[in-house]
Amino acid sequence: MIQEKDIARLRSAMGFALRSGAQACRLTLSETTSDMVGTLNGEVDKVSHCFDRSVSVCLFVDGKYGAFSTNRLDDMDSFLVTAIGMTRLLSEDAFRKLPARERVCSGAVDGNELALCDSSYVNVSPSDRMDFALKASVWGAEGENFKLVSEEGEYSDSCSDFVVMDSDGTFCRQKETSFEYGVEVTVEDGKGEKYSGYWWTASPFLADFSAAGIGREALRRASSSIGAARVAGGRYNMVVTGDAASRLLSPVLDALNGFSIQQNNSFLCGSLGRRVFSEALTVIDDCHRKGESGSRLFDSEGVATAPVPVIENGTVRRYFLGTYIAGKLGMDPTVDECSRARVCPWPEDGMDRDAVMRKVGRGILVTGFNGGNSNSSTGDFSYGVEGFYFENGTIVTPVSGMLVTGNFIDLFKSVAAIGSDARKCMSRLVPTMAFENVDFIGE
Amino acid sequence: MSLSELRAVVAQAVKGGDFCDLFFEDTRYTSLTLRDGAVSSGGFHRDYGCGVRVLCGEKTGYAYTESVDYNSLLTAARAAGSICAAASPVGPFKACGMTPGAYYSQQKDWGLCSPSEFTGVLLSLDDKIRKGDSRVTAVIAQFSYSLSEIMIYNSLDELSSDLRPMASLAVSVVFRKGDRIENKSVSRSFMCGAEFVSGNLVAEMASDALKGVDAMFEASQPKGGNMSVVMGAGASGILLHEAMGHAFEADFNRKGQSVFSDRMGSRVCKRGLNIVDDATLPSARGSLNVDDEGVPGQKTYMVTDGVLTSYLHDRISARYYSVAPTGNGRRESFRYEPLPRMRNTYMENGSDGTVEDLIGSVGRGIFVDEFANGQVKIGEGDFTFYVKSGFLIENGRLTRPVKDVNIIGNGPQALSDIRAVASDLAVSPGAWVCGKGQSVPVSCGIPSVLIGNLTVGGR
Repeated sequence: MIQEKDIARLRSAMGFALRSGAQACRLTLSETTSDMVGTLNGEVDKVSHCFDRSVSVCLFVDGKYGAFSTNRLDDMDSFLVTAIGMTRLLSEDAFRKLPARERVCSGAVDGNELALCDSSYVNVSPSDRMDFALKASVWGAEGENFKLVSEEGEYSDSCSDFVVMDSDGTFCRQKETSFEYGVEVTVEDGKGEKYSGYWWTASPFLADFSAAGIGREALRRASSSIGAARVAGGRYNMVVTGDAASRLLSPVLDALNGFSIQQNNSFLCGSLGRRVFSEALTVIDDCHRKGESGSRLFDSEGVATAPVPVIENGTVRRYFLGTYIAGKLGMDPTVDECSRARVCPWPEDGMDRDAVMRKVGRGILVTGFNGGNSNSSTGDFSYGVEGFYFENGTIVTPVSGMLVTGNFIDLFKSVAAIGSDARKCMSRLVPTMAFENVDFIGE
Repeated sequence: MSLSELRAVVAQAVKGGDFCDLFFEDTRYTSLTLRDGAVSSGGFHRDYGCGVRVLCGEKTGYAYTESVDYNSLLTAARAAGSICAAASPVGPFKACGMTPGAYYSQQKDWGLCSPSEFTGVLLSLDDKIRKGDSRVTAVIAQFSYSLSEIMIYNSLDELSSDLRPMASLAVSVVFRKGDRIENKSVSRSFMCGAEFVSGNLVAEMASDALKGVDAMFEASQPKGGNMSVVMGAGASGILLHEAMGHAFEADFNRKGQSVFSDRMGSRVCKRGLNIVDDATLPSARGSLNVDDEGVPGQKTYMVTDGVLTSYLHDRISARYYSVAPTGNGRRESFRYEPLPRMRNTYMENGSDGTVEDLIGSVGRGIFVDEFANGQVKIGEGDFTFYVKSGFLIENGRLTRPVKDVNIIGNGPQALSDIRAVASDLAVSPGAWVCGKGQSVPVSCGIPSVLIGNLTVGGR
């Protein structure tokens, strides 16, 4: 954890920067301690212990701006002198400035206002970590149609603490703990074909953390792919499980980022206040939920966050505009990025994956994406898919070698249903989502 | 720190284990960014520390410290050495005994340059691109260079060091035609000094950034399906990287996870084809004088005359398979343990004619030449790569341009389905990065190849 003496050192460095020619500066100190126990086939395979501490410095010198970082905290003065010298070599930029005082967060002082830091973290011993990792193992599990050939698990925990402060008096702090377990299993069928599956869990709190069932789920995901068939291409309804659907939301949130908007490199340029997507789509930046991963009271500039709609009934309500990019666009600043996106259920609350599949009837259930990408300017995308063909809401066969292709605006115009089954352990709360008439390439 | 202190740290760490190494790193990275016609942001970043690794059997203990004084190293050594309580030693590792290479250097030392010398490169690139096409609406360019000083000491009393320079220039351009917007990115990256910067570099990158813009606006996603694919020379090496290279990394094979786990010595593609992973290409982005375990850089034939002949090894897997390490032990920084990783991966020239010959032999398919990214599932061997641009092939001729399609295939099947290889090998000069839980710089290359059947995304 960051100590008072570290904060005092930061204040001293800030004073030195101002005396050395900077008119303003922002410093971010971050510290993370993390431990990991990895297992291979039911035995401990790796242990690691890490401690990181670094300072990031943003300097505003004679109308110019530079960003620097170092993990040599014992040598800050000479580092700052060099950094100020380099900043002076750059071109002036009138839009570089600290955020206005009234926008800055004042309610994040002890760092645990959002209750994301578990004090019992310090009581976790090396033998506890080995127990967590080993007890979660399912090595030796057997199935009728497969042989388990590899199980690679990893338990890890961490404690992070960071402070943002600037020369206008901003001081914000956030502390977080995390306990995680993830496992990848590989199985072999009777023909020697291999199939892999991954599953994981995480919690900010030790008391809420349980790795029970994670290995079984990874095994289920691997073995359920056995017998995957090439399905004919064509237009299908697409149901995407929440963990996979998060990948579809990312390009949309990226397209709302001010840097993309300012460079005209976004398929959502000019969309603010317009209904672009289906009325079924509402995404909220639900960033003030106590004890839930992804919550934060302030952004990278120390600007106060707020729970607000990003997309409301299909209408774009928010661009993510830091101080700099908002100035360049001549718009009001917001925050630098979405903290904790939550996709709201539609048309009713309470549906899980199976309920969404029943509602849709027939289509492709996507449980993961294999590669692929999208065009940030046009929104065109193409991804490899892993999943299943289903009829009457019931899985018929796993599929292989399929691709899904389309355009994000068209895709999110065709929302058919949105579940309520987002995993709490994810910092982006995306439930199962269903879309109508999506192009799949297959056999 | 003295050699005797290093020996004391290693002795502390390796108690009860088989091997220990210390990886010291001091990296200084500088970047300048041009946006809206001005070089108005930049900075430098320093990362300094030491990673301590202890091996006991095949098991690993790892810790690192950002303070490299004796006591901090001893603390890290004890943390890494804790693996020995959960494992049984099987005996010391063998020394490598090879001479480090000299595959990169700085003719003009970055340390003697001021960042101000390089703002002109960015401004000149911006100017050439904007003047070259009236449809350009935005240019973002970033120039960066870094110097990593590396020192590795291990329990075999081997001491090695390396100075790794890296220079990169990347530009992203946005074009507008009517109400349509398209973008294009180009990069160059080499392990070299400030001689990297030249008028030729700017001219070449500006030319590449503006090449094919008409086609980009005409292009559309093709009708998808299974078809022949001709992969153009150079960046198409991503096929080798994703479809084969990862599956040849020995850790996946040692653990039985790779689709190639039990195929050593067997034929994987047609006779005459050689696939290599090469640390010795002068100044190439993935070259290494020594790897991050202190093993000298070398050229490794993974496939020789169509037969799988070697995996890519770190020290752990080399001992497991009773072979010499191939110098593929790499890590992102001192914060990470080394793993078997690719370097510069390419296929040697074939003898099946020219790229035109390959295209001419295809009735219906696509020709692809620009890529964004790729991915592989190691166990299944299923790989994908994303095509930024290419052309439809109809009756042996390139017809309309295509873009933004994902291609999917299976590694072993695609290898065995390589029908023809031209003799125009090119290694891509782009800033390729390989991710495997940690990022390392790589490059890839290939002559033009014809693959009989892959699944192409489209509408």
